Parts: sequence; C-alpha cells; structure tokens
Amino acid sequence: MTNQTLTTNKSQKEKFLNPFTQLGKNGKGMELDIRAKAIEALKDHEIPTRKWEAWKYTDLKTIANRDYQFSGESSLDQITSFQIPDLEADQLVFINGVYQDQFSSLTYNQNLVTISPISELQGEDKSIFETHLGSLINGEEDIFSALNTAYAQEGVFIRVKRGKNAVKPIHIIHISQASEQPLATQFRNLFLIEENSSVEVIESQHSVGEGVSFSNSVTEILVRKNAGVEYVKLQLESDQASQINSTVVYQEDDSRASVFTITMSGETVRNNLRMRLDGQNIESHLMGINLLSGSQHVDHHTEVHHLKPHCFSNELYKGIMSEMSTGVFNGKIHVYPDAQKTNAFQSNRNILLSDTANIYTKPQLEIYADDVKCSHGATTGRLDEEAMFYLRARGIKEYDARIMLIYAFAMEVVDNISIEPVRNFISSLIQNRF
Amino acid sequence: MLKINDLQVSVEGNKILKGLNLEVKPGEVHAIMGPNGSGKSTLASVLAGKEDYEVEGGEAIFNGKDLLDMEPDERAGEGLFLAFQYPVEIPGVSMVNFMRTSLNAVREYRGQEPLKAGEFLKLMKEKKSIVELDDKLTKRAVNEGFSGGEKKRNEIFQMAMLEPTLSILDETDSGLDIDALRIVANAVNKLRNENNSFLVITHYQRLLDYIVPDFVHVLYKGKIVKSGGKELALELEEKGYDWIKADVAV
Ligand SMILES: Nc1ncnc2c1ncn2[C@@H]1O[C@H](COP(=O)(O)OP(=O)(O)O)[C@@H](O)[C@H]1O
Ligand SMILES: [Mg+2]
Repeated sequence: MTNQTLTTNKSQKEKFLNPFTQLGKNGKGMELDIRAKAIEALKDHEIPTRKWEAWKYTDLKTIANRDYQFSGESSLDQITSFQIPDLEADQLVFINGVYQDQFSSLTYNQNLVTISPISELQGEDKSIFETHLGSLINGEEDIFSALNTAYAQEGVFIRVKRGKNAVKPIHIIHISQASEQPLATQFRNLFLIEENSSVEVIESQHSVGEGVSFSNSVTEILVRKNAGVEYVKLQLESDQASQINSTVVYQEDDSRASVFTITMSGETVRNNLRMRLDGQNIESHLMGINLLSGSQHVDHHTEVHHLKPHCFSNELYKGIMSEMSTGVFNGKIHVYPDAQKTNAFQSNRNILLSDTANIYTKPQLEIYADDVKCSHGATTGRLDEEAMFYLRARGIKEYDARIMLIYAFAMEVVDNISIEPVRNFISSLIQNRF
Repeated sequence: MLKINDLQVSVEGNKILKGLNLEVKPGEVHAIMGPNGSGKSTLASVLAGKEDYEVEGGEAIFNGKDLLDMEPDERAGEGLFLAFQYPVEIPGVSMVNFMRTSLNAVREYRGQEPLKAGEFLKLMKEKKSIVELDDKLTKRAVNEGFSGGEKKRNEIFQMAMLEPTLSILDETDSGLDIDALRIVANAVNKLRNENNSFLVITHYQRLLDYIVPDFVHVLYKGKIVKSGGKELALELEEKGYDWIKADVAV
C-alpha cells in the first residue's frame, strides 16, 4: 500500500516536471552552475500535499496533474488594453513568457539603470546578473523554487545604479494566451537596487481567452543601503489561471520596501512573500487585496524576518470574498534575538459576501527579543449592516451602497500605493468588478 | 402626507409597537415623547426601512403610497429623511463623495438632473453654514472621529441637502449643548414650511422651546397613549411620565 502510494507520487512528480525540463533547454542567459544545483535539488523535493502544514488549505492536485505545454505563439496584434492609463513607464511585454520587443518600450538612461529581459543581457550587466541570481532563492526551498531556478525560461533584470533613481516606473506586462492544451510559463526576476537609489516596479498579469494556464515565478529583490523599492503586483488573469509566485526581498540598513499584491482572480494562486530585514532602520510594507468570486482560491503566505534592531514592518492584507471563493492568509513575523526595538504590525481583515465564501487566516509571531512592539490581528465579517442602512436611508441603492463600502474597505490598501495612475487604475478595477 | 394605521412591529420575536396610529399632514410638526424603551426609535427605523424589524400588522401610507413596501433608498427618494439617534461611522467613505452620491441618487429618483460639481460644492457650502459644520469635518470620512454633537449636526446638514418633505428626528437633541441645540432648531425652522413636515422624537421638552410642535404624542409600551398640543410637553416636563403610566395601567 505504502509502496504503491510512493510510486504514484513519484510518477506524478515526474509527469509534472517533464515538460518543464524541455523548456529549460531554451532558457537563455542564466548562469549554469546554479541551474545544475537546482536540478539536483529537484530530486529531493516533492509536490506539496494538504498534509503539509504550509499547504493545509491549498490543493495542488489539479495544477500538478495537467499536461502542460509552452508556447510563445499569440494572435495579439496590440497590447494597449493591458497598459495602465496615464502611466508613463518603461514597459516590457511578455506573451506566454516570451519577450515581445515590438510591444515593449524602453527609454531609460543607461547611466541610471539597466532594464532588460534576461535573454538579452550582455557584458557587465549579464555578469552582475549572474553573480546575484539565486542569492535569495536558489532551489533549496521547495519544488517550485527549484523548478524555477532550474528551468526558468525568461525574466526581467533591473539594476538601479548607486545613487540613481529610475526616473519612470517600470511596468512588466505578462499576457497568457493558452490554446487547447494547458499553458505553462516560468519567469524569473532579479531587481538589484543599489545604495541610495530607488525604483517603482509594476508587474501585471493578464489572460487572453479562456484557456488553462499555470505560471511558476520567482522574484528576488536586493535593496541595498538607503535604497527604496515599491513593487506592485497586479494579478488580473482569468479564473482558469493558476500560479505559484515566490518573492524574497532582502533589505540592508536604512532601506525602504513596499510590496503590494492585488489579486482579483485566479483558479489557484499561491503567493509566497518573504522580507528579510538585515540591517537597521529599515522600513517594510506588505500589503494585499484579495477580491475574489466564483471558485477562485488565493493563498498568501508571508514572512517578515527582523534580523537587526530598530526596524519597522507593517503588513495589511484585506480580503473580499464572494460566491464560493476562498482566501488564505498565513503571516509570520519572526523577530530574531538581535532585533531589539523592532516595531512589527500585521493585520488581516476580511469581508465575506456570501455564506459559501471562505477565509482561513493564521498569524504567527515568533519573537526572540524582549524590547519589541509587535501586534497582529485578524477580523472576518459581513459588510457592515448599519453602514449599509445608513447609506440606503440616504437614497443610495443597495448595489451602489455595497460597492461604496467594498471600495472603501479596499482603498485602505490601495491608498498606500504612491503612483497615482496605478492607484486610479486599481480603484477603477475594483469599481468595475461588480 | 403620512398616515399610520394600527402599526404592529416586532423585533426578534418581541412585540415593540402594538397598534400605533398617527397622522401627519403637510406643514405639521409632531413631537413624539415617551420613556426609554417605549418604541420611539423602533417607529423611526421602521418608517425608514430598517430590515431587522418585522411588520406584523397595520400600514403606513406616505403620500398615497405604501411606505412599508418600499426599499429604504426609495423612501428617501420619496422625501422621507431619518436623522439617526446614533449615526454610524463609515471609514473610507468621504463625506463629499457620500453626499454627492446621496444627493444625486435622490435627484435621480425625483427625475432631476445630477448636480454639476460646481453647483454641488456651492450647495454644500451653503448648507454647511446653516448648521455651522466645520470644513474639517466634511473632509473626513462619514462621521469618522466626529464628536456626538458633530454627528447630530451632520445629520441635520444632510437633511438640509436632501430637502425631504417628511423628516424624522430621532433624539437629535440628546447630547447637544444649548448652542448646538439652537443651531439644530434653527436649521429645522428654516426648512419648515407649509409642505414640509417633521416628526420630532425627543426625551426632553427643551428642544420644543425652539421647534414649537403643533402636536405632542406620548408613546408608551408601543402605543400612543396620549396626544395633545404643545402644552402637553410642558406638562410632561413638570410631572414626568409616571402619571401617564398610571393612567395606562388603569
Ligand atoms: N435591534 C433590536 N434588537 C432587539 N431589541 C430591540 C432592537 N431595537 C429595539 N429593541 C427593543 O425594543 C424596545 C424599544 O426600543 P426603542 O425603539 O429603541 O425605544 P426608544 O427609542 O423609545 O428608547 C426596547 O425594549 C429595545 O430593547
Ligand atoms: Mg431611541
């Protein structure tokens, strides 16, 4: 019995991995040594099951049992509908994971910043990329990071040079257009924000058509001393799209990082976000919105590691779940013995709009320093009935009153995004959602 | 304008209103008084359309229409306004956005064009000054961080904006100091004319010095047990409710 289960798992894993190994042959520009190690690591990793504590609420069976293909083919002749109105940005477009030169526009000043698809890296940039690749995620973590490290097909490298600012925000646009067969993509980003520099990156994911897709992406962000990054992920794919998205942010002294994860759809979505505050006077913000319907399932696992004293982290995730959708929030704050005078706050607030929607929320505090201020809280409720009645008693129709309250709830997160066109774009997405 | 016949209402299985009759004609001001727990807020909430209340019998006809059959927002459109006893805070919804949405919804219901931004702001300014509502407050979220008195004045401000024909003021005077009370009363008196009616729910005679009612009713244990002119309020002030209770017991 046990033996048989093992064989089944083994063959399932191989079946799942096999198409990715094919893709890796085309993956360009990535340093080979780290890939070889990740291929080794893959042998030891298993596909998580719900018996694993970290995967208790998220079932990967469906994702793992599909027969994926990779395809750069697309019928799109324009991508303007995926742009953010009024956003002036350096723009990189990828369709099914493949870089689209004709839709991209890069006008940056090379003295300030490098912005490039990995497949086109050359010279110094390429060697800097290869030196830093894998410094935060190298494949030892789990099967998905190993798979990505081993066989990622493409990605974006951003390097903001010491003391410089990327003048325009950078917008990375992903479009999935799956055909009959399920589509897979593997993406690998590396953002290197050097000392005293700063950058804003928006990465948006979209689908065309109703085909099934799966993306497994990894983003490593190194924020050097007194540098700043704002990274906004917009997960706007169809509800046939699944993904595992792993991001690690490493921060040095006096740096600032904000990561926003705005998820408005997805079949099964898992976001792993880890912040490592490895310096003093660091500020970190982790913020997210789940705005879900149908049978969408979105799982946020976040970790904030306070390694040194005098740092501040603030986490706010909000969920609005309707119909039969499910949100999962697992947020861990780890304060190491050295990290005195830490201020760490975490809050997860949810509104369930139907009896059949679900939220599983679990905060975890592990505090090994004594002079710290930490708090966490989670709330789940219905839309405030008293507020609904107040609005309706003022003539506002039920439908509009609901949107007003949901919008207000979500905007507490959105208002923290510093780029106005991005804020406006998200608020219009929320308002047009209903 | 409003005719309530034998209204019977229960909350969570408890009968609160037990056959209430009341008629309000255009231009009239009716005061409803009564001890705590007698059902005054229940009456106000039922008329405004709050869901938790179960109407078990009777009717309320508002301008010839079945009021109890309408959605709360339709009632507002028809010209009914409730100044809440406990106005709720709505974080994230700005006063300006709320008021614009509300006013334009009501205007749409009444077959009027939405106001242009400039016209709206001008109107806001004008009505704010009537209740001496601070600019700082209208820049905030609805009722957020307002003091008790500011919340009440905000209710009257909204009333002035929406120009209802029947306004129900549920203990708008409680928690107000004498200056605020005067401001509120002045605002009501400004709106008062031969078409607009008021149902003023209050605990104290004090408010009725400023808003002089045409009729005073005493609500006790879910029924109007006594009605009279404005002198009834004075009598209640002087003698309390015990004599009414005794009367009813007999
Ligand atoms: N939402 C509610 N749930 C349960 N009981 C209620 C509710 N609202 C009012 N009541 C009860 O109904 C009675 C009348 O209350 P209310 O109308 O608020 O009286 P008043 O405004 O005259 O003080 C009280 O006994 C009160 O406890
Ligand atoms: Mg009351």
